[in-house]
Amino acid sequence: MRIKKDMKLADVIQLNYMLIPVIHRFGINLGFGDKTVSNVCQENEVDLNFFLQLVNAYHDKDYFPKEELQTIPVKNIVNYLQMTHASYLNEKLSEIEQKIISLQSEDTEDQKYILLIRNFFEGYKSELTEHIMYEENVVFPYVLTVEEIIKTQSFSERNREIFDAFSIEKYEEGHDDVEEKLMDLKTIMIKYLTPPANSTLYHTIIQDLFKLEEDLNYHSRIEDKVLTPKVILMEKSIKNLL
Amino acid sequence: MARSTILIADNSCIIRKGLRSILQNLENSEVLQLIDNKEEVCEIVNSSKPDILIINPNMLPADCADLKSKFINGNKLSLVLLSDKKKIKEEYKADAYINYLDEQDVILDLLQEIISAKNKNAIPDKNADTISSREKNILKHITLGLTNKEIADQLFISIHTVVTHRKNITQKLGIKSVSGLTVYAILHNIISMDEVK
Repeated sequence: MRIKKDMKLADVIQLNYMLIPVIHRFGINLGFGDKTVSNVCQENEVDLNFFLQLVNAYHDKDYFPKEELQTIPVKNIVNYLQMTHASYLNEKLSEIEQKIISLQSEDTEDQKYILLIRNFFEGYKSELTEHIMYEENVVFPYVLTVEEIIKTQSFSERNREIFDAFSIEKYEEGHDDVEEKLMDLKTIMIKYLTPPANSTLYHTIIQDLFKLEEDLNYHSRIEDKVLTPKVILMEKSIKNLL
Repeated sequence: MARSTILIADNSCIIRKGLRSILQNLENSEVLQLIDNKEEVCEIVNSSKPDILIINPNMLPADCADLKSKFINGNKLSLVLLSDKKKIKEEYKADAYINYLDEQDVILDLLQEIISAKNKNAIPDKNADTISSREKNILKHITLGLTNKEIADQLFISIHTVVTHRKNITQKLGIKSVSGLTVYAILHNIISMDEVK
């Protein structure tokens, strides 16, 4: 079902609870009573059009409003992606890490295996962090510069430097699969490890990993299908300017 | 067992989505993408390399001859047509054909057959679940951080053989990364924890 502006936001969340973190990233808090999507967006100064495109893109895999999303300023998309990054780094990863650590303190028998999982997760965490930092420090500044060049229709010296040093194709090539290790971790926990004494916690961790993977998929869908094609078009029009 | 990937191309959204929901009951398979745009068919098939393409013949690009040789031989792709004309299967030399009026069971059986046939060809090894002692040995070397070249030199085999073994190990265990393989190796006493690092 397509999410529309006069739906109650509460009903939207009943429809798909995965949207809770998404609306949170827009700075919207729960407790909005019977307000509609458009009311809540207005109150929180969120761009209604962008909000609708994004929640629909999350909610329905087949909904891909390429053209509509293309009309949204790069700045907003980048802003949103940055909020998602922050939530991965500050919340999700450390939550899972904490759970693995508390698993560790349970039973001495299991110590050895849980240490393995923990080390593995640490490895994944630093890989994901590195990936995110690259986007934050290299990719995003670049796409924002591209947008500025388009807007002003001219180059400043600094912009020219940034534009020449990078291209979105480079990003596409290097956009490697950060999900690989995450999937391996899930496989190991499901197929090859006997759960430790606290199996409830162990199960929760696996479910958390599934949710994180799903969320990361949504996230990279926005990067690959919205941001990248948009920037490719912008690059082309800049090359005509040169 | 490797999962078979499926692409569905039809201009009707009822058929695309309906078919996908039916295929959710299919084992060892995954619907990659739904396509509603004829122009994108070639491009998407080439980039996502599905095992099975279920397509309405109207969606096939005009240069079908080229499409067939390139896709089907090149990508080892099974072509399943979606139509209400029985003759169409021969006309396009397709592997199978689904009629709009087919029952769910008929469609599932048909695709299950294609998938099983594919898997039989892909993995001749009968005990696909556990890795052989040769593979264990290779796995050990991988987890010690050796490159393909180094492993080949130490075991007096070609790099090509090492790569093939690696591919089989990954496929059997469902683990891709070196660190994941290391955890597996420790859990199965192929290597001790002190040896790593």
